[in-house]
Amino acid sequence: MNRYTGAAALTAAVVLPMIVDRGLLEDFSRVFVLILAVLGVHLLTGTTGLISLGHGIFVGIGAFSMANLLDQNLPVVVALVIATAMAGMAGVIVALPSLRVRGPYLALITLGLAVMFPPIGRRLGRFTGSALGRTVDVGGFDPPDFLRLDDHPHIWNYVVCLIVVAGWFLLTRNLLNSRIGRAIRATKDHEHAAAAFGINVALAKTGTFAISAAMAGTAGALQAIIDPYLNTNDYDWTFSLKLYTSAVIGGLGSLLGAVVGAVIYVGLPWLNEFLGLLDSPSLAFGLGLLIVIMVAPNGVVGLLPRFSKKPNSETS
Amino acid sequence: MDLFLQRCFDGLFNGAIYASLALALVMLFRATGLLNFALGEIGMVGGYTSLVMLTPAAAAAGGGGFVFPVAGTSLVSWLPGHPYPVVVAIGFGVIASALLGVLLQRLVLYRLRNRSDFVKVNATIALLLALAGLVTEVWGGLSQRYPSVFPDDPGDYIDVFGGRLRYTTLGAWAVQLALLLLLGALINRTKTGLAFRAITSNAEAASLMGIPVQRTLAIGWAVSCGIGALAVSIVAASTILRPGMMVTVLILAFAAATIGGLDSPKGAVMGGVIVGLTQSLVPGYTPFPSELAVVPPFLAMTILLMFRPTGLFGTARVVRV
Repeated sequence: MNRYTGAAALTAAVVLPMIVDRGLLEDFSRVFVLILAVLGVHLLTGTTGLISLGHGIFVGIGAFSMANLLDQNLPVVVALVIATAMAGMAGVIVALPSLRVRGPYLALITLGLAVMFPPIGRRLGRFTGSALGRTVDVGGFDPPDFLRLDDHPHIWNYVVCLIVVAGWFLLTRNLLNSRIGRAIRATKDHEHAAAAFGINVALAKTGTFAISAAMAGTAGALQAIIDPYLNTNDYDWTFSLKLYTSAVIGGLGSLLGAVVGAVIYVGLPWLNEFLGLLDSPSLAFGLGLLIVIMVAPNGVVGLLPRFSKKPNSETS
Repeated sequence: MDLFLQRCFDGLFNGAIYASLALALVMLFRATGLLNFALGEIGMVGGYTSLVMLTPAAAAAGGGGFVFPVAGTSLVSWLPGHPYPVVVAIGFGVIASALLGVLLQRLVLYRLRNRSDFVKVNATIALLLALAGLVTEVWGGLSQRYPSVFPDDPGDYIDVFGGRLRYTTLGAWAVQLALLLLLGALINRTKTGLAFRAITSNAEAASLMGIPVQRTLAIGWAVSCGIGALAVSIVAASTILRPGMMVTVLILAFAAATIGGLDSPKGAVMGGVIVGLTQSLVPGYTPFPSELAVVPPFLAMTILLMFRPTGLFGTARVVRV
């Protein structure tokens, strides 16, 4: 994204609460949160080539951490930071096999984790409310007085989501354009060559995994604020697979792909329901990914003329 | 002692299921060098096809006990002899899955043969999602009862020192060992098996040597996916048939295949036994909760992948960098 599209997007995001009604604005907040979750997958798979089919569990860890931290009457901002850190730490643990295990095996391990997350979560009923789920107590999260938003909590939620997501976006962009970002990309292109040039491959992989998991964790924590009802069943393997699929369909070559991916994540089921085509959106996601693999190797973003000249972003 | 035997027998029954799916995974890995995440769902299509073949159209229309309407029964009810006995119906299911496998290989994976491994894995992930959606779409999300081939009344067991060795367990293992022998012969004793190895190591050179690459790959996919349908019918008969049930089973089958070493049929069966026994003995003798029985084999797989990626019986792969 260049400066002008960025400014236009920001203006649109600021004007939006003034023109749309409450329900639609809440939907936009949800899209922002999903952008963050998809961006997490995007960062990991796009820059390191590691396949994680389990990013839904980091979203879940973020959400349930948030709920339990709020139970302890922590301020929302503090809880948000701690929840993010916990998801990041979970990411480090999951990243450990990725240092030794390559290619499809990591996809296998993360898919297994995604399958096991709901049953494990149900066992930890004290934190997750077992099979019934739990509510999140976000009381005390009031907007500052000068904004005069006391009667409009949904606008305040929207503003918070916007700021947090924009913050993560800037951070990711700057990270990728820095020395660290180049080091990470080098490990993807050729691990041994990167190691020979003095790049700590293990650190680069683990670090990227942690950041991407933390991002997903933030998304979960925000989700807990917007929709204060959580159930472990919502973080099952289809959720993780849809996140992954959306990121790949959107395109792994540029950050815009994560935005497109999130729009696809929300838009595909919506379009499907609107047209009354299928009962299960999974079929639409699967077919979408197949078509993208066949005709658009760089994702939907790769079809845009500006990006089509870029070299193929496939991982070998 | 009798409780221990009972747990072992339960574990062995599950082990037979994991072993047969692991064999299917190994088979495809030998033929194409690919981990097929969609295998379980390809098998599900065959499982539901066999359900369609054995359900009378009248029962499907709404009557008859626990049977929910099964989509498609009216389409096949004109076939002579429909509804078929279970064994014949499973045969139809196996053929359906095998054909689907060949079709997917032709339409999707053969076109991706020159692309990176990343893309191929993505393709099987896409197929996993798409087929899971398709099965739900066509047959709905309800659980269906599925009959067993082997006698499975409460009294159908052999008493072994107090442990109940059920006929279904014996039957599953009979099928399993037959599969192992047939696949072992196919891989090690036939020209097709030799062709598998040639294609995996260098498809272009194999084609230049006159090996029919397309046909060999089709055989690999057909056999692997057919076994998938067989496994689904065993799982469904022991529990129920329900969309999405194969994902957990497939993860455990992957665990079995990896523990045994991905390119060894013998290893796959050993891996299946290990996974099945772990799954029943660990929650039995430790405070580990039984609904999380999938966790210990999964952890075993992860640790093994980290420290001995070739598994117990696999051959080490040498990669040129």
